[in-house]
Amino acid sequence: MSISREFKVGLFIVLTTIVILLSLLYLAYEKGFFEKVFTFTLSSKSGDGFTEGMPVVFSGFNIGKVHALELNDKGIVLIRIKIPERHVKWVKQDSSFILYRPLIGASRIIVTTTNLHSPQLPERKIPEVDIVNDINDVITKVPPLIEKITLIASNLETLSNNLANPKGDFNRVLSNVAKVTENLDNILKKVDKIADKTDAQLFGKDGTLPQVNNILKDIVGKLEKLNTTVDNINKISQEASEGVKDFHILRSDIDDTVNAVNDVVNRLDDLISSKKEPEFKVP
Amino acid sequence: MSFIEKIGYFAISLAKSFTDIFFFAGIILRRMLRRKTYSSAMRTVLVNQIYFTSVQILPVFLVVSIIFGSLLIGIVFQLLKGLGLTEFFGNVLMGLIVTELSPFFTVLLITLRSGSAINTEIAVMKVNGEIKTLETFRIDVIDYLLVPRVINGVASLVLLSSLFSVVLMFSGILFSNIIFGIGIDAYTNILLNSANFSDIVIALLKCAIFGFFATVIPIRSGLSASNELTSIPIAVSGGMVNVFTAIMIIEVLSLITKLF
Repeated sequence: MSISREFKVGLFIVLTTIVILLSLLYLAYEKGFFEKVFTFTLSSKSGDGFTEGMPVVFSGFNIGKVHALELNDKGIVLIRIKIPERHVKWVKQDSSFILYRPLIGASRIIVTTTNLHSPQLPERKIPEVDIVNDINDVITKVPPLIEKITLIASNLETLSNNLANPKGDFNRVLSNVAKVTENLDNILKKVDKIADKTDAQLFGKDGTLPQVNNILKDIVGKLEKLNTTVDNINKISQEASEGVKDFHILRSDIDDTVNAVNDVVNRLDDLISSKKEPEFKVP
Repeated sequence: MSFIEKIGYFAISLAKSFTDIFFFAGIILRRMLRRKTYSSAMRTVLVNQIYFTSVQILPVFLVVSIIFGSLLIGIVFQLLKGLGLTEFFGNVLMGLIVTELSPFFTVLLITLRSGSAINTEIAVMKVNGEIKTLETFRIDVIDYLLVPRVINGVASLVLLSSLFSVVLMFSGILFSNIIFGIGIDAYTNILLNSANFSDIVIALLKCAIFGFFATVIPIRSGLSASNELTSIPIAVSGGMVNVFTAIMIIEVLSLITKLF
């Protein structure tokens, strides 16, 4: 079955129109066109930076926009913002409103609410908007910076003039340095001469070091002789030590002999004391 | 002819041409708003015109939209990422691609395909005396021949441009995810924040104006052909140049409108 040309055209028109209408309806719904909208009024001493349609942002999300700007009889700027019903919960009595004017990008009013449990902002209350201005901040920071840069530039100029002036400080310093270098050169020559002399005295034929070497060789020879003497002393000492051991044996023998003599003497005493006539004949 | 005379001649012809086009556009517009114009014969011609201009071209148009749109979105997104302007990609997508590029791309396509065809068709009909024949049979040439083509131009441009925008939006989902790692929800939120009804209305209005002049100018140019065959290419080339000039003027005017 072939589809008629009229059907194809009708289908194309209907489908495309539906797509367009659905997109627009979705956009309208998401933008809050079918929602109840609350209007709040903010105040500012200056209207600079405020524009109609400017977004009102909470935590980075658009929750509304500036509907109108008015100047009241007291010269205060009144900013009417419109917030859809679903976003009204973010706007509380203790909310702060800041106009943020970034260096790059569009300005916006940032709503910050520390206590989300505080009561809702009454529509008649008019909080003031603080202004954070990146551009002006930068502009205020620029003059001191320029002053410093100017100072640096003038210093650089002075330095450059000094460099260029043959009688300037820098050139004087350079000439002084040249003199110091020349002096240093003389000193170095003297040091060289001293070093040569020292070298000859230390390392020459009759220098200190060869003599020290000879002395050391002599000492080494003597030490070798001393080594033999020490060895002999060691031997003597060892023999003496062994002799002392013999003395101990000899002493113990003497002790035994003395004890035996003592025993004999004691017996003799006993014998003499037990006789009526303490006289006896010795063989 | 002196230099000053040449300038004067050029200015007079330009003014005459503008007046002529606007006068002719006024006639067509008046007929478009007249109920009597929409006879069954006219409606048949209108259906045929929409079929040849929009439905027949639809597969090619969609393929070209997907390829060209995706490439363009990819390049633009990559550029924004490179410049550290990722937060502005919603504005670029809505402000540049949807409201500016889609109508421009579509009008170029329609002009190249249908505008030139209409111009040639009308010029050939004029040379062959077909228009005179229709008039002889008391058939209203404007109602029967011209109005359906102009309505077709307006409708086709609005519908095709919207389709192109929708295709780009879907391409944007893919590329924003690949390049920025943005999910569909975040992407939708960014787009909604960047979308303005006024911009969309201006874009649709611009499409309608593009469509109107992209058909009215070639028709007028075709009708200006003489009875000689050699006048056909002159009429076609003149008509196409005028259409491109008109496109540029409308584009500039729409940009100026956006400023206020």
